[in-house]
Amino acid sequence: MRNLLNFLARYNNLIIFLILEGLSIYFVATRNSYHNTRILFAVRSMTYGIEEKINNTRNYLSLRDINKNLAAENVALKNSLERLVRGENSPFFSVSDSVYKQQYIHTTAEVINNSVARQKNFFTINKGALQGIKKDMAVNSSDGVAGVIVGCSDNFSIAMSLLNLDFKLSVRIKSNGYFGSLSWDGRDYRKAVLSEIPQHVSVSVGDTIETTGFSAVFPEGILVGTISDFEKVGGDFFTIKISLVTDFKKMHFVDVIGNMKKDEQLQLQNLFQ
Amino acid sequence: MINSIIRFGLIFIVLMLLQVLLFNNIQFSGYINPYVYIMFILLLPVETPAWILLLSSFAAGSIIDFFSGSPGMHASASVLTAFVRPYVLRIISPRDGYEANPELSMINYGFRWFFTYTLLIVLVHHTALFYLEVFRFADFFRTMLRVLLSSLFSITFILLIEFYRKGK
Repeated sequence: MRNLLNFLARYNNLIIFLILEGLSIYFVATRNSYHNTRILFAVRSMTYGIEEKINNTRNYLSLRDINKNLAAENVALKNSLERLVRGENSPFFSVSDSVYKQQYIHTTAEVINNSVARQKNFFTINKGALQGIKKDMAVNSSDGVAGVIVGCSDNFSIAMSLLNLDFKLSVRIKSNGYFGSLSWDGRDYRKAVLSEIPQHVSVSVGDTIETTGFSAVFPEGILVGTISDFEKVGGDFFTIKISLVTDFKKMHFVDVIGNMKKDEQLQLQNLFQ
Repeated sequence: MINSIIRFGLIFIVLMLLQVLLFNNIQFSGYINPYVYIMFILLLPVETPAWILLLSSFAAGSIIDFFSGSPGMHASASVLTAFVRPYVLRIISPRDGYEANPELSMINYGFRWFFTYTLLIVLVHHTALFYLEVFRFADFFRTMLRVLLSSLFSITFILLIEFYRKGK
């Protein structure tokens, strides 16, 4: 006991130093996310070799189960392949009614170039004419409206972003059905402006805005955003600020929508205009 | 005793204010960040018990950390500096020891001694601080450049303050 006390008395400075330094390093490590990951990384790289070995062994021991799963998957795939091949080879094919009912075709694509900082923003997607993309198809993000295809090459397409001063979209207030025109004012990439809503309409903050489908580009009822602010300007119409649901800064996978009956609709409309 | 506590308490507060209000705002192109608050560690009397030295350095570092949003970094560098200080003092001790003049100032020990002392302490502190900040040796020489440039400015400012004290 006395030895221990002697030891403590002799090295008390060192001990205080180590305690305080340890405390500081602890703060550095836990309160700063950057340092946190660095330390985690170092620890990982130390244990990585061991973990890999354990994982290998575990895999080897469960090979039987893995094989069983693979076999089952193989059977399922073969079955579905059989069905497909049969379907193609058969001389008769049954026409399911849904082919003629279907109005919109969907395909997914990846955004490979994008901007939100300019006044006229466009983005590029990694599918083009060879993949069936055409001009004037609608582009949606996973949340809501994103833009319209304005040009295609063989494998790429350019879409005009909603964040473009030239972009106009027919939208309506979901709760009461009044429609107006949505455009971007070039200021905030999270906000757009809805005009042409008459002042007798009851409007409240938080109302949902969706597409109308009048333009024959966007299907009806796709989410655009919510009302964040509105004011009366002049005597007739509201100016309504919409906060967009699509976050253009992180948009990555998009859904391209083609309207199969667009030509038919436009031709008919042109007859009477 | 009470006198010197009040005195160093005042020095502590003034240096903290200077650092937080003035020197933390001098961040020249990411290379030059003078840290003048360690002058507190420099000035504590020779006979200060080591635990007071360590604890007060820890407090100083923590306060600076608190204001510059870097938890633990300044505290750790300061504690290290405080721990090293007695050894530095031993290395550069003047011929007739420290007993005659316990206060470590330029008036008592002359410019040359004070400069060496400042240089060593500042280098220890800045090296610890900047390497802890980047936390890797990938940019070793760039960090060293930051250490040297910042040290240059810290030393300059500390010497200026010391000259001002001497002049009074």
